[in-house]
Amino acid sequence: MISLVRFKLAAYAGSHRLLQPAIALFTMMLIFYSSAVPAGKELASYADSAGLLIIVFAWAARGLLDTEPSGQRLISMTAAGSPGREIGAGLLAALAVNLGLAAVATVFPLVAGFSAAPSPGDLARGAGLHLLGLFAGTALGALTSRPILASPAAAMLALFGGYLALLLLSLTPAGGFTVPIMPWIRAANAGTLDEILLQVAAATFFWSAAATACYVRLRRTRP
Amino acid sequence: MRLSGVSFRYSRRGPWILRDIGLDLPAGSVVEVTGRNGAGKSTLLRLLAGIVRPSRGSVAGRPPVVGYAPDVFPVEQPFTVSAYLARMSRIRSVPPSSGAALAERLNAAHLLGLPLGDLSKGSAQKVGLIQSLLAPPGLLILDEPFAGLDEQTRAELPEIIAEVASAGGSVVVSDHQNQLRSFPGAAHWLVEDAGVAVRDGERVRRAVIEVIVDAAEADEVEQKLRADGYLTRRSS
Repeated sequence: MISLVRFKLAAYAGSHRLLQPAIALFTMMLIFYSSAVPAGKELASYADSAGLLIIVFAWAARGLLDTEPSGQRLISMTAAGSPGREIGAGLLAALAVNLGLAAVATVFPLVAGFSAAPSPGDLARGAGLHLLGLFAGTALGALTSRPILASPAAAMLALFGGYLALLLLSLTPAGGFTVPIMPWIRAANAGTLDEILLQVAAATFFWSAAATACYVRLRRTRP
Repeated sequence: MRLSGVSFRYSRRGPWILRDIGLDLPAGSVVEVTGRNGAGKSTLLRLLAGIVRPSRGSVAGRPPVVGYAPDVFPVEQPFTVSAYLARMSRIRSVPPSSGAALAERLNAAHLLGLPLGDLSKGSAQKVGLIQSLLAPPGLLILDEPFAGLDEQTRAELPEIIAEVASAGGSVVVSDHQNQLRSFPGAAHWLVEDAGVAVRDGERVRRAVIEVIVDAAEADEVEQKLRADGYLTRRSS
């Protein structure tokens, strides 16, 4: 399965599809950190970045999963021994790409953006929030990939619309039970993130896992 | 391998593509699948290959190594032929050089350095065929393999099929050009109205004999043997 993950990553790198989310990521980084973040505000800034980058993570995951032509997916399924391995390898490759993007988003402000270095605790919380964002984004990207939504127009609408819906839902009183993007942004700004971090993580993992399970189930008849 | 009561549809409210199919595919058998366009041939091949699961019924005894060549090989990939075959070999855990030997046999060695995107339809079809044979398949599934192939490979393909079968592998070929009609012992499945009609061929035990002749007479001998209905292959 690792060979299949590497095959997918090589195909993705060779197709130049990584450029789109990478350009989006760097544009966002430049806008976020165009003026220096004052000391003590690093976690708030990380929380914004993690919440907004979900759309970039979703875009990258969708791009990776759409790189392979459909005939190649069928070949990969038989070569790897089962459809499950092909589907798993696709998700792992998407996670790997998004881990790279999340690492850039975490390290970038340390180099240019923060006026003072964050405490190790805030750095870990920031990295953790990006990890939550990449799980949610990868799941959203998978659900809008070509085997599930064949029309590119419908897929882009679902991708951006889905992200917007996540944001809006997380603004409502029920926000804590959805992917709680707004609650984590607000709590980080108010300095109370630790109080809700466990709930935020649990809710995000739950919804990401549910969306991924839904994707895997749908792929059974959409090879 | 056996399909029992297999039905398939792509969505819960969609039409049945195949309905209550029962099929036996003994080791070493060769089957030609025909049917009009859209009858469900490709779906049947995907069920056999394990790419999709039946909506109802079961598939039992599928061999662990399945080779599958789709009807159109996907050339839109950023690899050369040799890099692609090396990666497919690694995924199948066979030596990366396996592709080169097969390419030699299918007269495709000159294609190895080319990007997949530069291949003609026939050449792409050959690469699809080579990747399906990288590991000796227990089940070989070829979707319209004859389309676009050059004459030499067209003649070579029945031999390859015979070799896989004599090594105990099952071979299923969808083929609307009916190229395997004279293949000894091939069974025939007709996909029609969401069902499969089976016409069994005689099961013939096959053997390979080597005949050494004077190089000058090779053409003549080969023509005679082919006229008598034998499969021949030149090894030099």
